[in-house]
Parts: sequence; structure tokens; C-alpha cells
Amino acid sequence: MGPRGLYLGRAAAIAAAALCLAAAEPADSPVNVPEPPGLYTGPQRGYTPPTLKGARVVDGATVAEMIAGPDKPVLIDVAMRERKPANFPEGRLWLPVHPSIPGAVWLPNAGAAPLPPEREALFFGRVEQLTGGDKAKPIVVFCHVECWGSWNAGKRLVDKGYTAVNWFPQGVEGWQDFHETRNLTEDPEWKQATGP
Amino acid sequence: MRPTLAFALAFSAATLFAPLAQAAGASDTEQERNARWQEIAKSIFGDKTIESTDTLVKIEAPKRAEDAALVPITLSMPDRDKIKSVSLIIDDNPAPYAAKFEFGPAADTRELKLRVRVNNYTDMHAVVETPDGKLYEAKQFVKASGGCSAPMGMSDEEAMKGMGDMRMKFAEAQPGKPVEATLMIRHPNFSGMQMNQVTRDFTPARYIDKVTVSAGDETVFTMTGDISIASNPVINFGFKPDGKALKVAASDNQGGRWSHSFNAPSPTN
Repeated sequence: MGPRGLYLGRAAAIAAAALCLAAAEPADSPVNVPEPPGLYTGPQRGYTPPTLKGARVVDGATVAEMIAGPDKPVLIDVAMRERKPANFPEGRLWLPVHPSIPGAVWLPNAGAAPLPPEREALFFGRVEQLTGGDKAKPIVVFCHVECWGSWNAGKRLVDKGYTAVNWFPQGVEGWQDFHETRNLTEDPEWKQATGP
Repeated sequence: MRPTLAFALAFSAATLFAPLAQAAGASDTEQERNARWQEIAKSIFGDKTIESTDTLVKIEAPKRAEDAALVPITLSMPDRDKIKSVSLIIDDNPAPYAAKFEFGPAADTRELKLRVRVNNYTDMHAVVETPDGKLYEAKQFVKASGGCSAPMGMSDEEAMKGMGDMRMKFAEAQPGKPVEATLMIRHPNFSGMQMNQVTRDFTPARYIDKVTVSAGDETVFTMTGDISIASNPVINFGFKPDGKALKVAASDNQGGRWSHSFNAPSPTN
């Protein structure tokens, strides 16, 4: 059975788990995915663990509350950009768009592992700027549902000593069900460093 | 399967207790969607005016798709004489122009169904062109996500097995009435955005770019397709049988060419 089959086969289990827990906790994984000891180096698409040690796991309602609160979090979106197929015909309309949480900073694929050292340094540099050097500033990291990128990004920040890391595993999909989205353009500094 | 049923349910429950102050469909997001549609419409149809319609074309789609890589769409165009072509645009897909169907004399346009990939929560537009060259649009919002890059769950070789094979199913024919037919083409319709989960290479785009169906000498339709059509394309359409075979010619963007002929049900009296 391929990955897609697994996805489908587990749908029932997911539904059951969601019903039993009545959404008390977000991102109930249909399989018990353990936290890897370090960054996850497998494919980004896949089931993620229910936890991220050193970080808080949050749902969309909590993220909305944080945004509306007095100490607004730094929102970091690490979703990958859409890849234009190499052989996509000239003249055919290609117009990727990235809806996300309004006010988020988009650092595409910053949750890749491994990440080239200079890119990882840029990631930490951007987060330092965005948090004003305050390691206790609330940060929300996210990408898509079932995406390891945000888990890795959160892990990096926890390991770096950030103390208010919030991981939002349902990501853009979990957000847009009930909240406004805004189409994001890539963070200019990140884009400049990583190229098109 | 993105978003999963899991958090669909989880969120439905969660929001019962959450303030709904920021319910979807409010101003800014809507404005952004409209602006995007204007941009897409301009690049496809130029400066031509597009009027909205409730009657010439309707789009039916699940409000929330179970599988974003396989979203069933029904286009209803009850007034055959007023329809020259229909374009399906999935606004927030990276390649938004999913398909165009140009109808011939043997077409019955009342119901056209196909299955598409949906990458983001998006508006979908169906734009029909009337014989006098005017454009009319209908819109439908669909919740699905990740359909363009969803892996097929099998090796590329396996996915390409039997590529170009076709099947046709006919609904029961009634004398003097159009017949409903379902065309199935075996083809992975690789989007070029799908990563092989084992090798982590991207499978190059390979998709059906043209399908022509004709009844005898008369065209039913010609479809121009794109990477937003789901793998193993299934097209449900109507045609006017004249007792001759139904011929299908399909091609893909990598030079694949296939044709098949099917015995259409004859209108017995």
C-alpha cells in the first residue's frame, strides 16, 4: 500500500479520534508518530507527532486569540513555494498564490532539513530581527497540515533558546476554515538569499 | 486528503465555542479573491466583458472536497444553442486555467462532469462563450487543499501502466434523445508538482492536453486540458447519437497520441 493508500485507510481512525477527543487537542495524529530526537530529515509531507518538546502546540482559535491579544506573536510561515514544472508550456498561465495568516512572514522551506548553514543562519537572523532579540517573544510557526517543515522550524527555535515557541500543525488549512487569509509574498531578505 | 477529515471535525467542534467574529467570506479576503479573478480573466479573455449568469452555466462542486486531488465538478448548461464553449478556471491553483471545452454539432451540453485537482481554498469560475462571442461567468467556492502536489501513492512506472487505455460507458439510449456517456482515460496526468516520496525527485509534468470526441463526422467536443485535471481523467458528457461510432482522440504534452472508437448505442424505435 502506497502513502496515498495509507492516508485514505487512516481517515476513519482520524475521524474517530477527533470525535472522541472533541477537539480538546489539535492535530491528533492517526498514528502515533514519535518525536524524532533531532530535526526530521524525511519527506516534508506526512503525519507529524502530536507534540514538539519545548514548544506549545496550538490550534487556530488559540492563534487567533494570540493575534488579538496584547503581546502579538511573530507569525512564521515556512510553507514551500509552488514549484513550476520544468516542462510547463510557455504561454500557459502560471500564477501561484500563497494564502496565509494575515501578517505572517513567509520564509519558504525554512523547515527543510538539512538546511545549508548560511540559510539556517539567515533563518535565525530573520527571527532575531522579527522578535527584536527577545527570546521570550511569542512565535507561531506553521506551514500546511501534515507538513514537517513547521515542526522542524519550531524545533530549531526551541533548540536556539526561544522560550515561547508555538507550533500550529494545522497550518494554513486549519486557519482558513474560520479566519481571513491574506496572499503573502515571500520575505524579501529570504528571497534574495535563496533565489527564485 | 488535505485537509483531513480529522481537523475538519476538530475545527467544527472547536468553533462552536469560539467567537465567530472573523468568519470567512468577509471583506478583505473577498476583495483579494476578486482582484485575482480580474487578473486571471484579463490574461485569458483580454479586455472582453464577462457578465455573470445564473442560467447559462452553473457549477456544482462539493463545498468541502474529500480528496483535493480528485474533486468532482459538474457544469450544467441547459441551453445548448447558446453555448459555444466553456472554460473552467480554478482561481487559486498555480495553473488556474484547468480546461476549455469547445462544443461541436453533436454535443449535448446539459451536463458535463470532470474531476480536478484543487490546490487551495478557491473560487472556481466557469465562463461560457455564446455563439455571438459574448462571455458569461458563474462562480463556486471550494474548500480543498494540496491537490496539485498530492503524490499518487505508487511508482511513476506503475502510474503510467496502460497509459492511453480508454473505456466508455453509455447510459441507456432513448429514441430521439441525447445519450449520456462517460469517458475514462488511463493516464497519470502528472502535474509536475508531485514529489516522488522515495527519490524526492519531482515527476515531470505529463498531462492530457487535448481530447476530441466525435460522433460519426460531427464533433461532440474538443477539450484543452492542463495539470489541474485529476489523474486518470473521467469526463461525463452528453451527445446526439446518429448510429455511428463515437471516436476519441487524445494527446498529451509529451507527444503521446491515442485514439479509440466505441460503438454508441443506436436509437432503436
